[in-house]
Amino acid sequence: MYSVRIGVDTGGTFTDVVLVDERTGQIVTTKTPSTPSNPADGFLAGVAKVLELHGGGVDLASVSALVHGTTVATNQLLEDRPDRSDHLGFITTEGFEFILEIARQSVPDGYGNSYFWVKPPRIVPVHRVRTVPGRLDHTGAQVRPFDEEAAAEAARGLRELGVTAIGVCFLHAYANPAHERLMRDVLAREHPEAVVSLSSDVLREYREYERSVTTLVDAAVKPIMRTYIGNLSERLGRGFSVMKSNGGVLSAAEVVNQPITTVLSGPAAGALGAALIAGTAGHPSVITLDGGGTSTDVAVIVDGEPSQTTEGSIGRYPCKIPMIDIVTVGAGGGSVAWISPEGTLKVGPRSAGADPGPICYGKGGTEVTVTDAHVFLGRVPPHLLGGEIPLDAAAARAGIEGLAAKLGLTPERCATGILEISAFNQSNAIRQITVKRGLDVRDFPMVAFGGSGPLLVCRLLDVLGLKSAIVPPDPGNVSAFGLLTVDVKNDYVRTHVTTDPDPDAIEAVFRDLEAQAAMALDREGFTDHVYVRTADLRYYGQAYEVRVPADGDVEARFHEAHQRLYGYGYRDDPRHAVEWVNLRVSGVGPITRPALARRPEQFEEPTPICTRDVHFDGWARTVIYRRRDLGAGAVVHGPAVIEEYGSTLPVHPGFTATMDDYGNLEVRRELG
Amino acid sequence: MSLADPILIEIVEGTLASVEMEVETAIARTARSPMIRDAHDFRAGIHDVRLRKLTGRSYSALVQPIVRDFPVETMNPGDVFFHNDVYLSEGGIGHLPDLCVTVPVFHDGQVVAFVQAFGHHDDIGGACPGSMPSGARSVFEEGLMVPPIRLWDRGVPNDAALRIMTRNSRMPDSLAGDLDAECSACLMGARRLGELFDRYGREAVEACFDAILAKTTETFRRELLAKIPEGVHVWEDYAEHDGVDEPRLHAQRITLTVDHAAPEPLVIDFTGTSPQAKGPINHAGDYADGVFLKKWLAPILRNLADTPERMAELDVNEGVVPLIKMVFPEKGTLLTPIFPAPTNARTFVILRLLGVLAGVLAKATGGRMPADQETIRYTGVYGHDAAGNDYLMREVLGGGSGGRWYADGEDTIHVVPDSRNIPVEFAEARWPLRVERLGLAVDSGGPGRYRGGLGYDKHIRLLRDASFMSIADRSILSCWGVNGGRAGRPFVVTVNGVEMDGLVDDFPVREGEIVRVRTTGGGGWGSPFDREPLCVADDVRDGKVSLKAAREDYGVVFSAGLDVDEAATEALRAELRVPQEAFFDRGPGFPKLSGGRPHAEVDLRP
Repeated sequence: MYSVRIGVDTGGTFTDVVLVDERTGQIVTTKTPSTPSNPADGFLAGVAKVLELHGGGVDLASVSALVHGTTVATNQLLEDRPDRSDHLGFITTEGFEFILEIARQSVPDGYGNSYFWVKPPRIVPVHRVRTVPGRLDHTGAQVRPFDEEAAAEAARGLRELGVTAIGVCFLHAYANPAHERLMRDVLAREHPEAVVSLSSDVLREYREYERSVTTLVDAAVKPIMRTYIGNLSERLGRGFSVMKSNGGVLSAAEVVNQPITTVLSGPAAGALGAALIAGTAGHPSVITLDGGGTSTDVAVIVDGEPSQTTEGSIGRYPCKIPMIDIVTVGAGGGSVAWISPEGTLKVGPRSAGADPGPICYGKGGTEVTVTDAHVFLGRVPPHLLGGEIPLDAAAARAGIEGLAAKLGLTPERCATGILEISAFNQSNAIRQITVKRGLDVRDFPMVAFGGSGPLLVCRLLDVLGLKSAIVPPDPGNVSAFGLLTVDVKNDYVRTHVTTDPDPDAIEAVFRDLEAQAAMALDREGFTDHVYVRTADLRYYGQAYEVRVPADGDVEARFHEAHQRLYGYGYRDDPRHAVEWVNLRVSGVGPITRPALARRPEQFEEPTPICTRDVHFDGWARTVIYRRRDLGAGAVVHGPAVIEEYGSTLPVHPGFTATMDDYGNLEVRRELG
Repeated sequence: MSLADPILIEIVEGTLASVEMEVETAIARTARSPMIRDAHDFRAGIHDVRLRKLTGRSYSALVQPIVRDFPVETMNPGDVFFHNDVYLSEGGIGHLPDLCVTVPVFHDGQVVAFVQAFGHHDDIGGACPGSMPSGARSVFEEGLMVPPIRLWDRGVPNDAALRIMTRNSRMPDSLAGDLDAECSACLMGARRLGELFDRYGREAVEACFDAILAKTTETFRRELLAKIPEGVHVWEDYAEHDGVDEPRLHAQRITLTVDHAAPEPLVIDFTGTSPQAKGPINHAGDYADGVFLKKWLAPILRNLADTPERMAELDVNEGVVPLIKMVFPEKGTLLTPIFPAPTNARTFVILRLLGVLAGVLAKATGGRMPADQETIRYTGVYGHDAAGNDYLMREVLGGGSGGRWYADGEDTIHVVPDSRNIPVEFAEARWPLRVERLGLAVDSGGPGRYRGGLGYDKHIRLLRDASFMSIADRSILSCWGVNGGRAGRPFVVTVNGVEMDGLVDDFPVREGEIVRVRTTGGGGWGSPFDREPLCVADDVRDGKVSLKAAREDYGVVFSAGLDVDEAATEALRAELRVPQEAFFDRGPGFPKLSGGRPHAEVDLRP
C-alpha cells in the first residue's frame, strides 16, 4: 500500500510542510505564506504544493497520515487582548469568588516591588465569577451537598452576561468530580450554548488556583479551536491529527474536547524532530536549540525522550498540564540591540519581528538587530532564502556604526558584542534547563536548527564547553518534520497523597487511569497500547515533587533522582519520610517513525562556490560553501561559511564542520 | 579594548543574576519550612571579596561577620560557614530563625567572591513553637544562637555542630533538610561563579564588578535622588505594641537631609526613635556604618522613577551605599538595642522603616510616593492532628498595597517577592481544619482617588481543638493614606466572634469554631472625592466597597442599581469635602494611642 505522510506546521509567517514517502524514504519540504485571517487557507495551499512537488500522483484522500502543528490556541492567549476573553466565565465553590484576584498573593521578582507593582488583569474578572454552595473534603467525601438551585442561578447569571465559555473548578474536585459533573448538567440545561471545561476533566491534581487557571485556559480556547478544527475538517473532507504540547498527537475530533493540550505544541514538534535526527546519527541524548526570528526554544532529550514538566505557563497563566519542558528565551534573529539608560548594551527580549524586521530587510526597520550584526560581519549572505529576498547590507552597516559610536566602540566590536550577548542569553537558558534537571551541560551535544539556530553554534560550543553541535539538513523544516515522528499520547493524573502507600490502593488507581487511557486509544483505533506509569514524590514537608518512573522500587528511584537533581538525598535516613503525591499514566499508541535516507559519500575535497570578506577575529577573505555540494565525510575547516536555502552556518576559525552519513553537519573544535 | 567594556559587563551581570536565580530555585524546590517553601522568606546573594553585594534582586545578609572571624586566607575550597547570631552578624541577621550559609568562591587558589543564602526556618528552639515568642524579654528566650562557625571544613560537614543545632529544634528533620538545601545550593552557585572567573580572568571580572556597582550609584543619583527637593524633611511612624508593655506609640523617626552636591547626597538620621522595647520588636541595625540598612531601605527610592516599569528595572546592589550616610541615635533605642534585647519580631521596626522612608519622601515630593502597605504578619494554628502528632500551620498572609499616583493599590499582595499563600487543598489535606472562605475584606482598602488594595478575609474552621497564634502590628493603627487619601482598615482576627490582639501566643480554639482573619487594607492616595464614580460603581459591583462606604467615604450616589446619579454625587461630594490640615491619615487608631491627638505633628502639610 502506498504510504505518504504529511506534516503541516503553521507558524506566524510561514506554513512549513514536510512529506515523507515511506516506500522510497523520500522527504519533500516546502513553505507557503501563512494566512492568519484564516489559517486553513495556508494549510490547504501547503498540502497541495507538497503533493505536487512529490509528483507521485497521490491525492489528499490517500495520504495515510496528516499531522498538524498549530498555534491558533496559543496565539489567542499570548496576544493578551482583554477582548479576547470577554466570552469567558468562571464558577467555583461558595466563599472563593476572589480566588483569581488573590491568586497566590505573590509579587514577581525584586524586593520592594510590592510598592509599585500593578497586577495584570485576571483571566476572568470577578464580576464574571459565580459561586455555588456544596463542599467536599480532601478525600472526596461530601461535607455539604451541591445546591442545584443556586447552580441554576449561577448558570443563568453568566448567560445573561453573554458568557459563552465557562470553566468550573470546585474545591477537591480532583478527589471527586461528582459536584462538577452535576454543575455540567445544570449548565447543559440552563445555558446549552456555552462550552464548558471541568477541572476534574482537565487536571485531576490538587492546588486550587493553578487548577482553576488551567481549566479556564482550556475553556478560553475551546470556541476558537472548535471553529478552526471544524472548518479545516470540513474543507479537507478527511481526518487529521493535531500536535499536543506533551509530545504526542491526537485526532482532531478528540482534541477539541481538551484544546489546552495543544497550546505550546509548536516548539514540542521541533524538539521531537531534532531528537529523531540526532538519534539516527548516533546521539540519543542532546540539547535542542530552535532559533527563530523572535525567540529561541531550548529542550533536553535524554535517551531519545524529551524531558517533561507540569509547571509550564502560557504567557502569565500557569498551565499545569504535562508538556515537553522547553525554555524560551527572547533571543532570535530579530532581537533588538539597545542601550540601557545605564549605558550598557542589551540584546532583546524585544524583537523587530518580521515587519518591519531588521534594518537590512529594508522594510522600514530602524533598530539594529542580531541579523543586522550577522550581515555586517559578512557571516550571512546579503540575501535570504537562496537569493529570493535581497538584504540591504549598507543599511545594516550604517545602523551598526550608529550604535557603535554611541557606545564608543568600533563597529566590529559592537557587532560581535551583540552576537556575544545573544549567545550568552541563549547559553543561560541552556544552563537553566540542564541545572534544573541535574544534568551537566558538557555531556550533551547540541542540535541547532530553525532559521537562526545554527548561526551562533561555534560561540555556544565555547561558552558552554560542549563537545559538538549538530546542524540537520533543512534546519528550518525540523519542526514540520517532527510532526511525523510523533506517537498518539494521552496523559492522566490523580492526586493520591500518602506517606504510607498501600500497594493495592496505588495499583487500583493506576489501573483506573490505564482503563481511561485504553478507552481513548481504542477510539483512536490502536490495538497496540503502551502504558507508561510515573509518580510524583517528595520528602515530607517539601512543596515540590520529583517525578520518577513507577516501576520497581519507586522510593529508591526517588532518593536517587533527588540526589542527582539537588546534590543530596536521604536514601539511608528513615527520619526523612517520603510522601507520594500524584500518580500518572501516559497512554501511547505507537506509530512507525520515518526512516532517514543516507547521504552519498564524498571523497574529494569540497569546493567553495566563492569567497567574501567575513569578520571572525578580524576581517579576512573567507571561503563560502553550498551545503548541497557536500557529501558524507566532507570536512570544512573554519574560517568558512556554509550556506543553504533557509539557513547559514558560520564556521569560526579553530572549528570544523563534518558532514555525517545522514547529511548533518557536526561542528567541533579543531583538535590541538 | 578596556577590561570592562559594555559587552563583558552585560555578560557578567547576566551571569550573576542567573547564578543567584539558580541558587534560589534549588532552595525553593527542596526546602521544608513553610516560611522558606511558601512564604519565600529566604534569599541568596553574591558578594565580591571586598564584601560588596553584586546582585540586585534581593536583599541578603552580610559577609562581614564571616571574614571578621575567619580571615579569607584561612578559607579553603569546600568550606561552608554558618551563623544566625543577631548581635554578632553586623546587622545582617535580624532574628535567630534566619539561618545563614556562606560559601567562598575560589579562583587560582584565592577567595574571589562569596555565595550566601539565608532562610527563615521553622524552629530553632526557644520559649515557644516557631521560635518567635511574642512576650520574650531577652534573646535567650528566642532560641539557639550560633556565632559564625565553619560548618563544613574542606567538604566535610561538622556533624557535632549539626547535631547540636537539630537537637535544639522542635522540628529537627525539617531543620536538617533546610540546611542541606542551602548548603548544596550555595556550593553549586560557587562552582558556577568560579567558571566565570576561569573564563575571563580575575582582573576583567573584577573590573566588571566595579562597573556594575558604579552604574547603580550613578543611576540612583541621576534618576532618583535628583527628584527629591534639597532640604531637611522629617517624618515618623510607629509600632503599636511590643508584646510586653501595653500598646503605645513606639516611634521610628527619619530626618532626611538632601544635598545633591554632597558626596553623600542623602543623610538618614534616626535620632528621635523611641527607646528599645522590653519585648522583641528591636532591630540591631547600628553596625558596619548601617551598610545592611542602606541596602535594605534603598529599594523604596525606586518609587521615584518615572514609571512602574522603570522602577522594576532598577537593581539595588552595593552601589547604593556611597550615596547614603546613616546617623544612629545613642545605644538603647529600637534600632540600637543592647544585647541581650529580644528581636524576634523585629519586622515591626525593620519593615516599618520602609514605610517611614516612603512617608518622608512623600512629604518631600508633595505626594509622589505610594500610600502605606503593611508588610509581614504571621497567623497560625497549632495542636495535635488525628494521629496525635504535633503540627504548626503558620502562614504569612499579605494585605493590600497603598494607592499610587498612577494606580489603585493591589489586593492581598506580600512585600516578600514570590511569597505564596498556602493552597486550601494542600492545607486541608495536611492539617485538621477547613477553610470556609478565602475572600477579600470589603471596605478594607483606604478610600482615595486611587484606592488602597484590600486585605484578606479568611475563615478557618478547626476540626479539632487547637491553639491560635499571631504576630501582627497594624492591629490598632492603620496603613496610612496620603495626599488626601484615607487610611485602610487594620488587621483583625476573631476566634468564634471574640476579637484578638495582634500578638497572641496561645488562644484556645475549640473543634468547630471559626478563626476569621482580616488583614490590612492599603492606604488611599489622593482625595476619595476625586475618584471616578464609575470606578466606585465597579468596586461595589465586585464586592470590594460596600454601598454604605460608596456613599460615606466616596460621596457617590446611585440612582437605580449601580447607575451613578451624577448631580446627587456632585452635591454630596461638595458637602463632604472639607479642607484637610494633615497630609497623612493614620485612621482612628492613632487618637487612641496618642491621647486623642487627631494626627502627629510631623503629619502636617509641609
